[in-house]
Amino acid sequence: MRALFHTLVSRLRGFVRRAAADDEFDQELSAHLTMAEEDKVRRGMSPSEARREARLELGGVTQLREAARATRGLPWIDSFWLDAKLGGRMLRKSWGLTLVGGLAMAITIGLGASIFTIWDAVSGTRLPLDEGDRVVAIQTLNRGTQQVNSLTPLADFRRWRETLTSVAQVSAMRPRNLTVVTRDGALEPVRAAEITASAFQLARVQPLMGRPLIDSDEREGAEPVAVIGHRLWEEAFASDPSVIGQRLQVGDTPHVVVGVMPRGFRFPVNQRLWMPLRTDRVSEAGPDSDVFVFARLAAGASQERAQVEVATIGLLPRNQARETAQAEPRVVPYAAGFLPVVHGNRWLTGVIFLVGALLLVPPCANVAILVYARTVTRREEFAARTALGASRARIVMQVFVELLVLAAGAGILGFFIARQYSGQLIGMVVPMMGPGSVPFWMDFTPSLPTVLWVAAFSVLAAAIAGGIPTLHATKMWRRLGPSALGNRGSARLGKTWMTLLATQVAVSLAILPSATEMIWGALRPMFVGQALPLDEFLSGVLVLDGEDRSRFDGLRREVVRQLASGPGISGVAVSASVLMEEPEVDIEVEGLGPSDPEAKFNTVDDAFFKVLGFRFLAGRSFEPGDFAPGRRPVIVNRSFVAEIVGGPPSQGFGGAGGNALGRRVRYLETTDTRGASPPPPGWHEIVGVVEDLPGDNDGPVIFHPMTTAVHPASLIVRRGSTGLGPAVDRLRAVVAGLDSRLKVERLRSFEDIYEENQSDDKTFATALGVIVLIVLLFSMAGMYTLMTFIVSQRWREIGVRTALGAQPRRLLAGIFGRAAVPLLIGALVGCAAGIRLESWLPIAAAGGRIIPGIVPVSAALMILIGLLAVAGPARRAIRIDPTEALRVN
Amino acid sequence: MSDERSPILQGTLDLMVLTTLEQLGPLHGYGIARRIEQVAQDAVIVNQGTIYLCLVRLVQKKWISAKWGTSENNRRAKFYAITSAGRAQLRAETENWARISGVIGRVLQPGGGLPTGAPAKAGS
Repeated sequence: MRALFHTLVSRLRGFVRRAAADDEFDQELSAHLTMAEEDKVRRGMSPSEARREARLELGGVTQLREAARATRGLPWIDSFWLDAKLGGRMLRKSWGLTLVGGLAMAITIGLGASIFTIWDAVSGTRLPLDEGDRVVAIQTLNRGTQQVNSLTPLADFRRWRETLTSVAQVSAMRPRNLTVVTRDGALEPVRAAEITASAFQLARVQPLMGRPLIDSDEREGAEPVAVIGHRLWEEAFASDPSVIGQRLQVGDTPHVVVGVMPRGFRFPVNQRLWMPLRTDRVSEAGPDSDVFVFARLAAGASQERAQVEVATIGLLPRNQARETAQAEPRVVPYAAGFLPVVHGNRWLTGVIFLVGALLLVPPCANVAILVYARTVTRREEFAARTALGASRARIVMQVFVELLVLAAGAGILGFFIARQYSGQLIGMVVPMMGPGSVPFWMDFTPSLPTVLWVAAFSVLAAAIAGGIPTLHATKMWRRLGPSALGNRGSARLGKTWMTLLATQVAVSLAILPSATEMIWGALRPMFVGQALPLDEFLSGVLVLDGEDRSRFDGLRREVVRQLASGPGISGVAVSASVLMEEPEVDIEVEGLGPSDPEAKFNTVDDAFFKVLGFRFLAGRSFEPGDFAPGRRPVIVNRSFVAEIVGGPPSQGFGGAGGNALGRRVRYLETTDTRGASPPPPGWHEIVGVVEDLPGDNDGPVIFHPMTTAVHPASLIVRRGSTGLGPAVDRLRAVVAGLDSRLKVERLRSFEDIYEENQSDDKTFATALGVIVLIVLLFSMAGMYTLMTFIVSQRWREIGVRTALGAQPRRLLAGIFGRAAVPLLIGALVGCAAGIRLESWLPIAAAGGRIIPGIVPVSAALMILIGLLAVAGPARRAIRIDPTEALRVN
Repeated sequence: MSDERSPILQGTLDLMVLTTLEQLGPLHGYGIARRIEQVAQDAVIVNQGTIYLCLVRLVQKKWISAKWGTSENNRRAKFYAITSAGRAQLRAETENWARISGVIGRVLQPGGGLPTGAPAKAGS
């Protein structure tokens, strides 16, 4: 073992100081020859004979030097380096494969690495705070269901704060999503926390200005105060240095700003605004007032000790509605307390790794086909190497290293893709964790584990794309013997390539239509639909606190009346659901069979279409009589007619296939509508068709007249010429003046709602677009390689025919004719698969949009691309010099 | 011309070099080669070049050490000396060699060392 270790160290040393060791070895051999010569001369040989004899006895000096070098250094590194250099050259030569294969691998490795980076960040528990590893969360575990509850009743928190000794600065917080009014009157949604003053001591971060929250802020009757984050200070107060003492309107209440926290401080999760948490109102606290509890381990205390103490104190007995018999509190690392599902979940980790590996398969399989074709075309080269003594393993290794060079390049690019897009990806996957809302301890910069992931998956990609096809090709040669290395085996291979070409076309064609429809569905709202001045509208939800809501309808009408008649507002409308966020349910349209399409629905008041400026495409708007109870007319949008009824919406009356007006619709489910009011029962008659609005995502929408009272109600306010700020002020004033229980929540501009709805679609469409583009590029590159291969097999035949005076046109016809067969077969199979896939996938439900005739158009496009791919090799073929072609093989 | 010399047995060159250095003390490559040839008395073929490859291997394993010095003819040469690890290895290898050669010797004796009456195996 020791000898092995010494050998390894010595070989490493020999590899590093190769030149010096070579020099020393040469000197030694030279000394040997001199001594041998002298010896032989002393024994009576002539000097020339002695020299010859000495050299003969020693053996070939060059071979000895090579053998010594192989014994001394790391010969496999040398050979690897040689293969890598050769690989680099081969990749430059087949640049199409390099570009397409490399890009596809890079994107897949990048995607896999992004997923891994996100996983790594999300499952990590390192807290970027002073002694962050000593900050813990206290949560409840239900032993029966194994469910973890991160929130704790206020009463338990108070008891823990008073009794626990193994933890200090026991703190609590309750996250709130609020709206603040900035200095210029704009509304700014902000993530806020009601938090105990002790949390600031626990975080050990000093404010940039002013003071943190203090215990007296939490007391009954204390003036409402707030500590703001750096970004909020910049946005709401334009970085005003005299911000301390100024007022900030948070929700309905003005707060005095007492401190500004430094940049990057987003404790306890992703908050930018902190207000005191009232912990004294235990008696009136319901489940909604539960808090997240966290603390810092006391000096010398361990998490285990804290766990024992917390378990001993336990939870207070609660009322029966909240089962606690099997619940016990437990102490966990702070970050783990927020995402209990993720931490220590090995099954999820396994899934992440599997997804990463599976992502690699489609692009690598495609590269493998290209490599297979290229390996077969390089059979002369490999035959020569085999004849010179290279083993099959050596040849497979050579191609593997070639692909490893490609995969390494792809890996580096993939790493940068992961570095650039991990943040965006997580925003797409988990919208609540979009930019600015990611927990402060999560760092999505790829770390060392990500680098290792990229390296491992690059090797895997090289093995799939390079190793497997070469093993297959060389195995076939071995089986067929030397004849396989000549041209005789090519006729058999021809069929394989034709099948591959047809498969290539079929697979691309099967995916293309559905993918295009998905992309178009996501991008269409940006190009089509009625333009709506989004910045002129304000959306808010009017609610009445308490159980008694009998007065709400009257109050709602009064709010609308006062707003509409006052200054700063040019129109007010009411709907049951927030526009663009309506619930979606299965419907049935009379006379259209049992297809159960989905549609969004909303209930609107008489001013709705006028205030929003809807354009009517057919039929009429609601009339005063429609708002009488018992009437059931509905108005649908353009997408409803286009996707569900069929035919152009302008021909709503009796047009060919249109005929939306007069049809009746009903809802197939009347519950589970994301907490919104259930859809009205019974059949409803379509009386009008309106244009789609931007942000509808082109989904079908049905509008009902508001015939009964709704709670809560969505207010739509169109601002006057003075801007959104005065409109907001007026809205607040009117609401506050009518009833103290009346509130406006989720106050946002239409622009914000639209952005929230659109950004995910755009990212999704872009990602899908890139994937489709890669599929197409692959098809083209595959077809190009295969055509080059097929033409090169007919090199000799084409040469003979050219020498015999064949017309280039006839030669071209022959080449294109041969390519057209697999293209057409592929197109036919692909069309059938494409149509099947299009009907099978829930494209419309997933936000896509059916494009009539997309399948034949895609087929024509694929055939065109195929023929273009043939054009290059065909042009080269007819330019073959007959003498050159005849000399080949 | 008939050559009755045998090629050297795999792995035995290391043993020969170690023994030479143990018996004669520090020696240069040419000296080791000459010594082995003398002892072998032309019975085995020793390629002098392979001795140098063997020396590289033994130095790597730290069984011998190497140092530049001056030969008896005032030539600059690399001298090799056995190390304590090399001596231990030599002892182990010598014992092993004695055991194996003893076994082979017994097998090759008339009767093949097999107990009389042992059934002959198929194909043997």
